[in-house]
Amino acid sequence: MEKKKIGIIGGGISGTCLGYHLSLYDNAEVIVFEKDTIGGASTAKSAGTVCLFDDSLKNRYWDVRLYGFESYLKMEAEEKGSAGFDKTGTLVVATNEQVEATIKTGIALAKAAGYSGEYITDKDRIKEILPDISTDNILGAGYTADDGYFDGTMISNTYAKKMQKNGGVIKTGVKVTEVVVKDNKVTGLKTSEGEEYEFDYVVDCTGPWSKFTGEMVGVDVPIWHTKAEAFFLCPPGKKLNYTFPVLKYPEFYGLRAGDNIFICKSHLSMDLNNPMHAGQWDPDKLPATGGTDDYFIDFLLDQLEVKVPGIVDSGLVSSWLSYRAEPKDFLPILGETPVEGYILATGYGGNGVIEAPAASRDLAKLIMRGESTPLLEDWAFKRLLG
Amino acid sequence: MDIAVLIKQVPVSNNVSVDPETHALIRASAEGMINPADLNAIEEAMVLKEQTGGKVVVFTMGPPDAEKALREAMAHGCDESCLITDRAVAGGDTIATAKVLAEAIKKYGKFDLILSGALSADGATGQVGAMVAECLGIPHVAEIQSIQYDEAVPDKIDAVKKVYGERFHVRCALPAVLSVNFGSNVPRLATLRSTRAAKNKPLATYTNADLKLPADQVGIPGSPTAVIDSFEPTGGRMAEMLEGTPEELAVKLKNMIDEEKGKL
Repeated sequence: MEKKKIGIIGGGISGTCLGYHLSLYDNAEVIVFEKDTIGGASTAKSAGTVCLFDDSLKNRYWDVRLYGFESYLKMEAEEKGSAGFDKTGTLVVATNEQVEATIKTGIALAKAAGYSGEYITDKDRIKEILPDISTDNILGAGYTADDGYFDGTMISNTYAKKMQKNGGVIKTGVKVTEVVVKDNKVTGLKTSEGEEYEFDYVVDCTGPWSKFTGEMVGVDVPIWHTKAEAFFLCPPGKKLNYTFPVLKYPEFYGLRAGDNIFICKSHLSMDLNNPMHAGQWDPDKLPATGGTDDYFIDFLLDQLEVKVPGIVDSGLVSSWLSYRAEPKDFLPILGETPVEGYILATGYGGNGVIEAPAASRDLAKLIMRGESTPLLEDWAFKRLLG
Repeated sequence: MDIAVLIKQVPVSNNVSVDPETHALIRASAEGMINPADLNAIEEAMVLKEQTGGKVVVFTMGPPDAEKALREAMAHGCDESCLITDRAVAGGDTIATAKVLAEAIKKYGKFDLILSGALSADGATGQVGAMVAECLGIPHVAEIQSIQYDEAVPDKIDAVKKVYGERFHVRCALPAVLSVNFGSNVPRLATLRSTRAAKNKPLATYTNADLKLPADQVGIPGSPTAVIDSFEPTGGRMAEMLEGTPEELAVKLKNMIDEEKGKL
């Protein structure tokens, strides 16, 4: 069978997951180019929450969520720690009837797949799960003990290892400087090492960098950066005497991080028209830590005072700013572009860890066999044109 | 007791570049943070304030964006702050910097105690605290571990130093300057509430027009020392990735350690 040569730009969750899924085809020759370290940029700043029924991804894409979740569970079962799973359970709070209906649907879907889930209206029971929460002004909460959060960096490195075992190649510390296009068709790429490679396909998996990567072939990748401003809080008593679950409100989410609590504004609450929330910036200028805005302190203080007052006086251990790559509809951009052979697997926004496995599975099939899927049709680049 | 704390903004990462002409550290290339030892000085100040009352005022000399470090210090509990920012004082060595800080302290008000971190994480000269004391004509104790204050002896303070594992109490008259060791205590954390409150705490800004120091006493002209050479550390990624099962990795690690031992 004729070999297909694929170059992947970016070694985050998108690039390594796609690289692994491509390496499962025996006629694929895959090289991943990462300018820094595997899973070290926006993937490392991901919260990694892959929950069975939160609001991060519509129930329409339940299969995407389930495939991601179960892929990581299997990864973790193969080698403990390889997906960094922390099974804390998830509490999704219903603040209005619309959210309540979404949660209840999600619980039904989770149960259909054999997982536990319950919608709780007994406020004492909600406080048993999360003693620091305020149950005022909430309708109820969905809860499952079966999920939690994963570690995007660990997963990326595990996919990279699995891909290498299948014959794939990873080049770290190597920046792609040019994508070579002849007669509107990709023929290869050049790197910072001065090397030139021939490829049948080049896939942009650079997430927040996609705007700049696309410029190399003249493709305007329509993504915005939304600010993921995250804080690590040290609880007032230094150590919680209960397991802090993944906590989801429409406005923000939290999870435990060792003895601390990670809090971040939810990506679907970001307004692309608000310059404090969104813009088009240079991800290379992001500091490793800090960089958060004062407005977020005000936002978080106001939210926690009302919703989780037990942790509002936590100490601020550290903070960071990351850029999520979001198209206008907050869904990924997958597949073909106007330049033949130039493929996108970007724009996952805050959902890269959730969506990458199913998206990569389908995209690998498209590249290797030319067969599309309903998911690829939904998330195609062409939906954003015109 | 009214306490002044001197702080410095240092780069978050070690990835600081060096100006090939002036040999100065180019700090604009890195995110700033409060020098870690200065957080220990702030914590000592907060403990003393809780014991004796009074106020804690934090001082720094730097570019206008050093306000961020002052706001952070106030989120840690300091009551007021003072930023000395002026191109005329920029680039000064430790003596020129100390003169500016001493003058700012005098202008701001009367303090019973002045604290600084013992060493900065970037320059690491450990000189500025002692030089401020010299400029103000008051005692200085370097590299202290903690402070003990007895209200029965209000005009003196005990600086506790650790030397060869032993603790020494150095009693000195107030006002004095004490330089606090990094790691000597556990600095309290700011909270969301204290961070928001810090935005509205007083911040005074001085230029050299306020301090009225002669131009040849500050900045580069006022610096009797000059850095004649500096270099960026060379090196590279020396890490070697090991692969295998946990058991195989353990054997490989043991062999590598044994091999290194053999070289000694």
